[in-house]
Parts: sequence; structure tokens; C-alpha cells
Amino acid sequence: MHPILRSWRRFGIWMAAWIPVGFLLILVVRLSGRLTFSEALFVMTPAVIVMAFVCLSPYYVCRSLPLKTASSEKIVVQHTAAALILTGGLLLVARFAASVLTPSFNELDARFSAAVPMLALVVLMIYFVSVALHYAALELESSRQSEILAREAQLKALKAQVNPHFLFNSLNSISALTTLDATQAREMCVRLADFLRTSLRLGERVTVSFAEELALTRMYLDVEQVRFGGKLRMKQQIDAACSDCEIPALLIQPLVENAVKHGIAMMAEGGEIAMSGCRDHDHLRFSISNPFDPEAPSTGRNGLGLRNIRDRLESRYGSSARMDIKVEERLYSVTLTLPVRPHR
Amino acid sequence: MKIRVILADDEELARRVLREHLQTEQDIEVIAECSNGFEAVKAVNEMKPDVVFLDVQMPKLDGFEAVELIDDAAAVVFVTAFDQYAMRAFDAAAVDYLLKPYSSKRFRESLDRVRARLREAQPSQLSPDLKMAARAPGDYLERIVVKDGPKIHVIPVNKLDYAEAQDDYVALRSEGRVWLKQQTISNLEAGLDPRKFLRLHRSYLVNVERISRIDANTKDTWLAILTDGTRIPVSRSGYARFREIAGIGP
Repeated sequence: MHPILRSWRRFGIWMAAWIPVGFLLILVVRLSGRLTFSEALFVMTPAVIVMAFVCLSPYYVCRSLPLKTASSEKIVVQHTAAALILTGGLLLVARFAASVLTPSFNELDARFSAAVPMLALVVLMIYFVSVALHYAALELESSRQSEILAREAQLKALKAQVNPHFLFNSLNSISALTTLDATQAREMCVRLADFLRTSLRLGERVTVSFAEELALTRMYLDVEQVRFGGKLRMKQQIDAACSDCEIPALLIQPLVENAVKHGIAMMAEGGEIAMSGCRDHDHLRFSISNPFDPEAPSTGRNGLGLRNIRDRLESRYGSSARMDIKVEERLYSVTLTLPVRPHR
Repeated sequence: MKIRVILADDEELARRVLREHLQTEQDIEVIAECSNGFEAVKAVNEMKPDVVFLDVQMPKLDGFEAVELIDDAAAVVFVTAFDQYAMRAFDAAAVDYLLKPYSSKRFRESLDRVRARLREAQPSQLSPDLKMAARAPGDYLERIVVKDGPKIHVIPVNKLDYAEAQDDYVALRSEGRVWLKQQTISNLEAGLDPRKFLRLHRSYLVNVERISRIDANTKDTWLAILTDGTRIPVSRSGYARFREIAGIGP
């Protein structure tokens, strides 16, 4: 079905647009056929209404003959044929109206005949304009479609995937524990499985509750704790009101992973990751900070994870969400401020 | 005599796996364990082990930086969860590159390679100039490590003003001081971003941001004046490179 016919509102606008076009045609008939205004109005009204529908038909022809792939001869021939046939039909409608009305108006039929060539020309032109408009609209639509697809693909890619090096390092810890401490090796397997399962489950969703995301973060840290032992310390102060806030899935876990990878892991003596969360009427604010060694060797991909998070916030919330990064001498902190549904 | 080994990894569990694998080997003795790059360099240079097992990502200095600062005599085995460094490890003349987690079979193969290397009278070192050659495009050095007596000094590349070739060494000028490093200038040049460092002369590699202007000197030579007033000779090809990067046509 034609997109204009899919909603009453659009259909209304389309028909309204035909009022000036209709007046134009009436004027053409009146001038070239020496009809009075009311005669022209009576003769042309049914034809203009039919034409409003006829000019929707290029939609189907245009779609079957895309500009990019169809040969140009084919496009010209098919559209011209359609234009001629439809113009002919339209003239018949007007003609029919004129002949019906002839008894009421003096020699209307004959006077109308004089207007036919000019009318045919104008109708033909209007039809071609509608073909051009349809091509333009289809082009716009397809470019918007590909933009949406690209954005979706991008968002999907941006959503942090499980970092393979994290997996390999965890597996290496397990391989160490198997002979050192079998019970802890099993415990580590369970923690890793919990984290992976939850991460996959949340990753399928667009939004999750803050509590779910925080639980995932906890699972991640449980695994890293085995690897880093006493080097990795945690402090957490999260208001209970944050729990049911809806946030984009896998938004916070990558922040924590960053804090471990670029912060704690690169400190010879380790350090403390501090997380805090609070909520006012319609905003959630989450902060994470970690010590870092400004002279540490590069850990690669610096800042890429953070840029992904910024992009995701931007595409979802526009300017109503923020990510602030603060680098003090040896402390790196990231604060997210997101709009949330107000308290009930 | 036993093969003396040093283990360097920031994760205790990772060191314990290594130790466990080595325990069963009668001809091997672990003489030290280190948990960061500084410690590793210090321990290797002081204790002169036969072999060092090195993690790549460690605090202070990473494995590749550490290798540059340790005596060539020790055989190096990289142990890491990252597979993208394999080419660099090969070019750093490492004996082997173990991916975590590894099997005991794979570990024994690695030990066999180590023993074979130690049996060779002359270690088959690759040319150090090749070390940098396999760097991925766009993957340039961010820091340069130099030995300063017993200490290690790290120069971030954006703090390096210029490097001057001096026989087997390069003199690195940074923050008003000069550091000597045993390396060829071409080798250093290969590791640095060519958009940021220009070889203005056979003996000089200059940080583009430090160049304040270039003056004509004689017919075929020029002088680069750095922001601090230092004058650096510029050769004909160096001048051509400068014009190219500055966007001035030939």
C-alpha cells in the first residue's frame, strides 16, 4: 500500500495539496476553453479527484524501476507509457463529466474540446512531477533506512563484547588453581560461567535495571579478584533508589573493566576502585574512580571503550545525558549522569 | 650446571603456573620472581640468568621495553594472553612466545627450544634493526626506555626534542637533558611516527613540533632552528622531507 494511504492524516494532507493544483487545472480549462468558472469547476472536480489518486500510482512503477539499477530507456519508456495512458483516462473522465453536464450548460461539450490539448499537456506535466517527487521520496527513504541500519549495527558493535583477553587470563588463573587449590579452581569456573551467562543475557537487551548491571559488575570483579588478589580492592556506595532505574545494557561493566585494566592492573601495588551511585528526581548519577600510574606503559586501545560509552549515551539520550572524565594527579574518575523516569 | 631462570609476571597465579611446570625439570632452577618490568630488568641485569620468562603487559615497563634494557645473553620467552604481539616477539629475537593458558606439552616444547638456544655457542640474534620492522602500521612507540646507570628512565616520545646518532649510540635530548641509548638512529626512526619525527639529516631525527623554522645555510644545506634555539643541520633529502610534511610543494 502507498505510504500516503496508510494514515488518514497523510491522506488528508495529500488531498488538501490537490486543492491548488485543482484550481490551476480549472484555470487552464477556463482560459483555453472559454468556460465560465462554475462550468470548469463542475467539469474538472471529478477529474481532479481521480488524478489525486492516479498521481499516487508512480509509487509502484518507481519502486519496480529503481534509478540506480534499471536501464534509463526502460525508465523513460515505462513512465511515458503510464503517463499517456493515465492522461488519456483522465481526459475521458473530464470528457464524460462535460457530456453529462452539456444539457445544463450551453454547448459545453464543444467549448471543452478546445481546452483538451492544453489540459492534456498540463496533466502530463503534473504526472511527471509526481514521478520525480516519488523518486526523490524513495531516495530519501532508502538513505534514511541505511542510516538507521548503520546506526543499529554501530550500536551493536559498541555494546561491549566480552573481552577475549579477560577470558584467556581467567582461564590461565584456573589452570594455575587446578593443582594449587582444586576447590578454588571450581569456584573460579562457576564465577566465570555466572559472569558470561549474565553478560550474554543482558547483552541481548537494550536496557536493564541499574541493579542488574551492578550485579553483573560484581560478577566481573569476583573473577578479577582471583587474578589480582589483594591488589584489587573495592569500595561501593550506592543509594537504594538507584536500583530500579533503567539504563542501557552493558554501560557500567565496561567502565569497571577499564578501571581494572588501565588502572589497577598497571599499578605495582594495586589500588582501590570506588563506585558511587545516587538518584535525584529525574537523574541517575554514577561515578567510578581508580588510581592509575601516569607513567605506566601503554595498554593499547586507550580511550576507545570510553568513547564507545559516550557515543552510546549520545545516540540514546542526545544532550540530556553526560559523561564527565576527571584526571587528577593519580586518580581517574568517570561520572555518568543519565535521565531516568521520575519517582512515582 | 643448572639452567638459571627468572620469572616476570604481575599475576601471582601466573608465576605459580610457571613455577609448577618448571619444578619437574631437573636441570632448571628458578632464581627470582618479579612482578613488574622494573624489577625484571634489575633482576636480570644483576643475576645474569640463562632464561627469563616475561609477561608482556606489566606495570612500570612492559615486556618489550624490558627486553630492550636487559643483556642480550639471556634467552627470552614471552608469556601472554595477547596473540597480537607474536611478530614483535619474533623480531625481539625471543626464543618462544607462549599463549596463556598453555598446556604442559607446549611448555616443554618451549623449554626444549630454550635448551637448544643455550647449547648454541653464539646466540643466533637477529639484527636489532629488524626488531621494529614488524610493527603494525599506526602502532608507534609512545615511550622510549633508557638505562641511566642502575636506574631506568622513561622518555615519553612527545617530550623527545631530537635524537642524534653517535657511533653505536643515539643521544636523546629531552627536557634539557641528554640520554644515551645503544641503538641505531634508523632503528629508532622505524619505531616512531613518521608524521611526528623527521630525519632531517643522516645523524639527526627531530620532533616536528620543536622545529621553529628552517633557514638556508650553504647552497645545498639548511639549518633547522628549534624552539629552544638549538641549530640542527639539514641535508638536501631532509629538507625535501620537511617540505613534504609541511605541505610545501617541490
